[in-house]
Amino acid sequence: MTRARTLTFGQAVNEAIRIAMETDPDVILLGEDVAGGGARTGEDVDEMGGVLGTTRGLVKAFPDRVLDTPISEMGLIGTAVGAAATGLRPIAELMFIDFLGTCLDPLLNQAAKLRYMFGGKARVPLTVRTVTGAGMQAAAQHSQSLYWITAGIPGLKTVIPATPHDAKGLLLAAIRDDDPVIFCEPKSLLFVPGEVPEGDYEVPIGKARLSREGTDVSLIGMGATVRMCEQAADQLAQEGVSAEVLDLRSLAPLDEEAILATLEKTGSVVVVDEATPRCGIASDVAALCVDRGFDFLNAPVRRVTAPHAPVPFSKTLEEAYMPSAAKIVAAVREVRG
Amino acid sequence: MSVTAIRMPKLGMTMEEGTIVEWRVAPGDRVEKGQLVLVIESEKNEAEIEATASGFLRHVYAAPGDVAPCGALLAALTEQPDEAFDAVALAAAEAPAARRPAAGDAVALAAAEAPAARRPAAAASAPAPVATSAPARGGERKAIAPAARALAKQLGLDAERVTGSGPGGRVTREDVEAFAAARERLVPVASGVALEVLREGQGAPLLLVPGFGTDVSSFAALTPRLVERFRVWALNPRGVGASDGPAADVPTLAADAAAVCAAAGGPVHVVGASLGAAAALELALARPELVRSLLLITPFVTATPRLLAAVTAWCRVAAEASPATLARVLAPLLFSDALLADEALRERTLRGLAAACARVPPATLERMAAGLAAWSGTRAKDLARIGAPTLVLAAGADLLTPDGEAVARAIPGARYTVVPGSGHALASDAPGVLGDATLAWLDRT
Repeated sequence: MTRARTLTFGQAVNEAIRIAMETDPDVILLGEDVAGGGARTGEDVDEMGGVLGTTRGLVKAFPDRVLDTPISEMGLIGTAVGAAATGLRPIAELMFIDFLGTCLDPLLNQAAKLRYMFGGKARVPLTVRTVTGAGMQAAAQHSQSLYWITAGIPGLKTVIPATPHDAKGLLLAAIRDDDPVIFCEPKSLLFVPGEVPEGDYEVPIGKARLSREGTDVSLIGMGATVRMCEQAADQLAQEGVSAEVLDLRSLAPLDEEAILATLEKTGSVVVVDEATPRCGIASDVAALCVDRGFDFLNAPVRRVTAPHAPVPFSKTLEEAYMPSAAKIVAAVREVRG
Repeated sequence: MSVTAIRMPKLGMTMEEGTIVEWRVAPGDRVEKGQLVLVIESEKNEAEIEATASGFLRHVYAAPGDVAPCGALLAALTEQPDEAFDAVALAAAEAPAARRPAAGDAVALAAAEAPAARRPAAAASAPAPVATSAPARGGERKAIAPAARALAKQLGLDAERVTGSGPGGRVTREDVEAFAAARERLVPVASGVALEVLREGQGAPLLLVPGFGTDVSSFAALTPRLVERFRVWALNPRGVGASDGPAADVPTLAADAAAVCAAAGGPVHVVGASLGAAAALELALARPELVRSLLLITPFVTATPRLLAAVTAWCRVAAEASPATLARVLAPLLFSDALLADEALRERTLRGLAAACARVPPATLERMAAGLAAWSGTRAKDLARIGAPTLVLAAGADLLTPDGEAVARAIPGARYTVVPGSGHALASDAPGVLGDATLAWLDRT
């Protein structure tokens, strides 16, 4: 039951969906090419399993519950919201979060509001899985980290795991949550392996994970930036600086107590976010530190984020654009002097 | 002295800024009250601006084409053509916001030099600001980390008194902790005045008095060897580290040292470096019964013009730049070529010096400098009265106090040793030689 094997992030997502569909007949999966090719019943069909192959194999196991949709995000997300409001527990795949603009209304004005507007008597147990982030030369329209938009909408939850272990556990928690959850899959992590326990387990939404303990500075990351923080912590350790690494995991709700606890411990915070800086998660965390943790601050809070610019296609420019362990180390040196 | 500012006027309710069109006078010119000095343009009108006082134009802060907000400093007049006037300091005092550096001191100075007015081209392509905290030194407001402020409040300490070691001189939580620990080490020396005295080791009492602008850490290379055989009392003068201020003159420093000697159960082996050696000499003359022996490291009795100029520069740089910049400016005055040529040693030494400089606030430096200048020459004829066994340790390449041999000759029976090639900062340049010579000397006395 608890034996761990090595799976990639994408395989852990696949396993979570399989377990959710096995344990709950109301769970359906829908999206563009999540089954593949439209021929969902033949044994010899080479399934696509989504553009990145994450859901491959599921249509054979659940032929009636894995549905290809037309190429219309408004159509598929609207369908999923309606299905969730009327009794199913859908998992909708939004191929890239960059396409959020085409389907924002059903999320923003319906999914996020129904429970509130029906006095708690309605529920929208919807999960939207979506791929986020840069670093794969997918250019400006397929590389964004727009989770700050959904995290800023009351009524939506937004999570972003950093490890295969958390991908599986958080996705199971998201699917079983009675409120709409945006589940982010950083594309640079999809093929990264890690230990994943067998069987059914959940990682609670709203709880950050202390990935490394330290005393001198807190590096706060999310998704793909958690590994950068850990690499930076390794480098800093060689310089005699003990860095703590906090993986937010959940962007909304935000684990404010965990953030304040690590700030209180080290007195110094560097927040690392792949997204652009304005109105973002990094700014939000920095504001929390100043607002509720002022007397703990022994140094300025520093944000390491992408610049306020579209993601470049050029590999060289994209590397310059993204946060990195080196940038984190430089920020730490700057705040510590 | 009297400085009159010429400012961008506010000529109408809606005027917010104006453009310099033309200066009718140049720096150095005599200006009469009411004289037309410049032409500005605002809201499509040109206006002629008159001097509000008579004097001499000393500095112009905004060039034709520059845009400046109403009230901004454009030029300064003084009553006399040659009276003391500091263009940068005036601008900095006028525009505290402009003193917040983007990064580093070079930028801070640049900002101070180009305060209120902006060049239109520069404004268009202004680099994105990188937020860093303001430097504590030279600024009106000291940078204190919130955690440091909270801890100081909890401990009942005044955070403003703590010198900062963080970037830009920011006071950190660790600085408050160190300050609190230092306050535990206080020794009362006069009514209402206590000095921070580090006490360590067992044996006969030995007093260390640091030189100008530094603290007991300047003896760091020597102390570990001394504490094996002596009870070391290392004092920070008034105004330095956690010692009470304000800083005082040399006779007062000597009186403070005497109080520490008495607390140590004197007579005491007294070791002083540079201005600390001056205090040691003063102590030996005023309270000979407290002095068992004198070790004078790079001493002087009459300051050379170069020493006075160096001290003046030290004060000025400390007031306007970071401790790290100060240390780098001082390096060629204090250290030998050999030390400066060794990059790793140089950088390590500069970091230590910068940390020490951070514990000596600009106001203390000013008072110490005044004390040094006032004491200079007052004891030249009294050295013959010194009866304590004395060793003068001089540095062969000392730019600041090159007259150690003369000091030794004037003290009856004094021994004289010179460390060839060493700069003024003997403890940094030749710590091994200094330690050997010190211990050999103390063995003999």
